[in-house]
Amino acid sequence: MKLSLLFFITGLVLVLLQTTFLHLLPLGPVVPDLILVLCVYWGLYHPTLGAVLGSFALGYSVDVVSSPILGLNAFAMSLVFLAVYLSSRNIWIQSPMVSAVVVFLASLIKSLALIVVWLVFLNSEGVVLGALKYLVLEALVAAVVAPFLFAFLRRGQIYLESAAAAAQ
Amino acid sequence: MLAFVRKNQILIASCLCVLLSLYIMSAASRGRLRGDPVGPVLLWLLRPLQIAAQATTASVKEIQRSFGTAARYRAENERLKQRILELEAERSRLLEAEATNRRLKELLEFRSQLPARSITATIVANSATTWFESCLIDKGSADGIRKGMAVVTPLGVVGQVVAVSARSAKVLLITDPNSGVDVLVQRSRARGIVSGSLGNGTVMKYVKRSEDVQEGDRLVTSGLDGVFPKGLLVGTVVNVRKHNLGLFQHIEVAPAVDSARSEEVLVVGSAEGS
Repeated sequence: MKLSLLFFITGLVLVLLQTTFLHLLPLGPVVPDLILVLCVYWGLYHPTLGAVLGSFALGYSVDVVSSPILGLNAFAMSLVFLAVYLSSRNIWIQSPMVSAVVVFLASLIKSLALIVVWLVFLNSEGVVLGALKYLVLEALVAAVVAPFLFAFLRRGQIYLESAAAAAQ
Repeated sequence: MLAFVRKNQILIASCLCVLLSLYIMSAASRGRLRGDPVGPVLLWLLRPLQIAAQATTASVKEIQRSFGTAARYRAENERLKQRILELEAERSRLLEAEATNRRLKELLEFRSQLPARSITATIVANSATTWFESCLIDKGSADGIRKGMAVVTPLGVVGQVVAVSARSAKVLLITDPNSGVDVLVQRSRARGIVSGSLGNGTVMKYVKRSEDVQEGDRLVTSGLDGVFPKGLLVGTVVNVRKHNLGLFQHIEVAPAVDSARSEEVLVVGSAEGS
């Protein structure tokens, strides 16, 4: 329960950060995708039904706040969670570098999924070139922040899990 | 069946979420999504937080902007300081050029009063030791400078050329103990030799006790030594002492020309070999 609360608050804070403070960073139009990092973390370390719904809800909240069409980010985040979950059995993260690489690849998957869906449902001309321009940059930025967010979440999760175990 | 679902619940749920989001997208893009019950709730939940965060963001942006402005002002300040330095340097150069021009004009006027053979030179170095009072000028034998020529300025006598190379010449100043200039007291016409004396300044030697010499008297070249043209100012008497013993007076002289402050000089007179 406490863990779910931690993730809920973290998700809320990340949505807030992503829609406000992170725009202050001198990265041009690129905003670090912390929500993606959280979804990847869930896929790797906390693959539960709540995490599935959380990924969808986070994507959906981004859609509500800033997407031109509902479901776009919900789809991308759900897809990212699914991809990470499926491959999590083959990934053993021992160093922050590996987590950065996983997030980098997940970001690429998310961007490509968005481009495909965008083309199918919105059919905006020139969107591919525009998206490709920031695809790698966005993935790199997410990869850079991933180890820090991973460390924070991992520490919180271990603390709460060990506290729950001690209580039992 | 239930066991399969339970075993793969995450996978199935994920797939369902993907499909659900695809359905939402499809419906939204076709305009069939009439009511969105979740969106308004989410927005209602996020709104106050976002307002607060946005206010903080605006403050941070303001601070960033202030820093940016301060940085711009700093850069502008630095640029202006640099400009002031450049202008100061330019002003200094112009003042220097003006002063040089004035000095050269005076030198030119003075030159017209001297014998025809005179060469303008610049002092390029001063004496390197305290034992000798000399300086180096930038003209040498290639320019017509010869050993023994007199070196003067409009203010008075500087010294005498004692060594010459092709492009420079060494001048022994009248303040050097080894120099000697035949002089006259302008007022009383008393004769003597002005020379340097190590540690005691410049003195006028060989003036009889009976001669009339007073403080403030001007000393001019007599022209009898064959080196310096007649009538050039050498210095001013600053102290006269008559000892109980001895034939001569002790006369201290303030040279008319401070070689350390001189820059341009004229090399004049007939010299050996010329």
